[in-house]
Amino acid sequence: MKEIFRNMWRRKMRSVLTIFGIAIGIFAFTVMGSMSLKINKMISGGKKYITGQITIMPKGSSASAYGSMGGSSFLAVDTLNKIAEVEGVQAVAGGVELALKEVDLNDPSSQSMSFGMPATIEGMDLETNFENRNWATMDMKDGHMITKDDPTTAITIGYTIANDNSLKVGDTFKVRGKDFQVVGIADQTLTGPDQYVFMNINQARQLLIDAVPFLKSLQERSDEAANISDASLAKLPEATRLQIQEAKSFKLEDINQMAAVSWKDGEDGDTVANRIKDQFKDEAVVLSPKKMGEMIDKASAIFNTMILGSALIALIVGGFSIINTMIMSISERTKEIGIKKALGASRKAIASEYTLEAGVIGLIGGLIGMGLGALLATILNSKTSAEIFMLSPGFLGGVVAFSFVLGIIAGVIPAIKASRMKAVDAIREL
Amino acid sequence: MNKTIIKATQLKKTYTLTKTNKIQALRGLDIEVKEGDFTAIVGPSGCGKSTLLHMLGLLDTPDEGTLVIDGIDTSKMKEYEAHRIRANKIGFVFQGFNLIPALTALENVMLAGKYGGMKITERKKRALELLGSMGLSDRVNHRPNELSGGQQQRVALARALMNNPSIILADEPTGELDSATSLEIINTLKKLNQEHNQTFVIVTHNDEVAKACKAILHVRDGRNA
Repeated sequence: MKEIFRNMWRRKMRSVLTIFGIAIGIFAFTVMGSMSLKINKMISGGKKYITGQITIMPKGSSASAYGSMGGSSFLAVDTLNKIAEVEGVQAVAGGVELALKEVDLNDPSSQSMSFGMPATIEGMDLETNFENRNWATMDMKDGHMITKDDPTTAITIGYTIANDNSLKVGDTFKVRGKDFQVVGIADQTLTGPDQYVFMNINQARQLLIDAVPFLKSLQERSDEAANISDASLAKLPEATRLQIQEAKSFKLEDINQMAAVSWKDGEDGDTVANRIKDQFKDEAVVLSPKKMGEMIDKASAIFNTMILGSALIALIVGGFSIINTMIMSISERTKEIGIKKALGASRKAIASEYTLEAGVIGLIGGLIGMGLGALLATILNSKTSAEIFMLSPGFLGGVVAFSFVLGIIAGVIPAIKASRMKAVDAIREL
Repeated sequence: MNKTIIKATQLKKTYTLTKTNKIQALRGLDIEVKEGDFTAIVGPSGCGKSTLLHMLGLLDTPDEGTLVIDGIDTSKMKEYEAHRIRANKIGFVFQGFNLIPALTALENVMLAGKYGGMKITERKKRALELLGSMGLSDRVNHRPNELSGGQQQRVALARALMNNPSIILADEPTGELDSATSLEIINTLKKLNQEHNQTFVIVTHNDEVAKACKAILHVRDGRNA
């Protein structure tokens, strides 16, 4: 080992430049890889969640919560109750989503101008025993996820909402003019939930009704109609009576923009999804876990290829610089190879000496590159609120081991060249 | 009667430099060396002395002829077999010392032990002993460039003796030394020959060295002269 360092030291500049080349590659690999790790963790979390339930949307609605304004775009509670009776279904939970901030209807472009996911109110049906099959609850940074035992004004907020509004557990947060108490802050996910305000579904339904004039008038008429007794109703003209009866039929529980379905133990999610699809194809769009999983996989594969591909190019360049250095080094040391062969060194011994030397170059470059990469990732993580790098000891160790292996691989060809050198030819160089 | 340790018969070797330029280095050369011999190979420059020595050391193979070392026919031996014999039966001493510059005197000597399969503790012990016997105990941690020519050649000699080989091949061992140091080296070689019955084959231009040898093989134009 001492000999390896001394040999490297004999050509300081060349060794330093080669190590520098590897360090750059490994630096890029560490930074890109740790970012990829973090994002993959998030994606796999999202996938785990979305494939742990069957998602039901009302027919005719877009996937966006903001497109469903009319009565026809809701899943009536009766429909949800019927879905709950489908074979294999364990529970059905309605859901309501709306923008955290009131939309300025005079300026419809205001939404599309914002980057990323807008802050969203997520109404949660806490009365059902629905439980995502893969993810019982979210990871919490502080406090807890709202439950049916919490007051109806309790909310759990996403990581970004908490940061942007400097909120902590126990604080009061005004949402669309109403006061809510923060009982929990979710861990960062880098996906939708970071921008969510989770609240009791009835609160969310009411906020939605307040925001949509059509729903608001329906509710007002319903409230008025509720005061009219059946006896009084019977005395009214038929046309008026029918209108009032229709108004009376309006129920808060019918405001469900979507629903999540969990399946019983031993049942297959996709099979249950197909059963629901068969029976409710006219009323609802059913998104099976498999289909959602495939969509996510495709997106993450493209992302990984881009990130890791760029790091790989840097590594290939680094690998070639090791090959170049070793070939130069070996041609300079032909004499030594001759001496070693004369002393009885086998081909294997010569090849392993030079391969190990290349491995050590890779290892040093790897340690430097990994160190700098980890340092940059740590600095960026601490300087920005979004922790976009995940530095696990396993990954960092793997990066260093990889750089050693890269050196070994790059060293193999020059080392074989050295070992195959005919002793007499090497000796004649003397 | 000592047994024959080296027997070469009708060794031929031609080197092809270009399509039209071929050099016939050996044109049918015979040599027989008995165990414990102290033999000199002498002849003018380019007569094939070094080629012969390289063949005896299994660094090169003959195109024709047979070469038997210690009872083993090595004429057609492959590289992966030859290195074992080189490591255990043969020790080399070169004209230019040929120590590895990155290593100390001790490490240079130990290197031969490594290829001879010695364990590291054994290697160090023996290398220190050998360097001590060469009067170099205070120079073990010096690099070759910190040693005089005579000291370097003694380190090279210690390295050649590391695996206790039965044959020592020396190519102009005094070629780069002054006459006093040359004599010192030759006396060391003779002492080793007498005390340990090791066989020496020495290529030399030096008449003093040749005179010190028990047998002399004259080579001219790749043949026995």
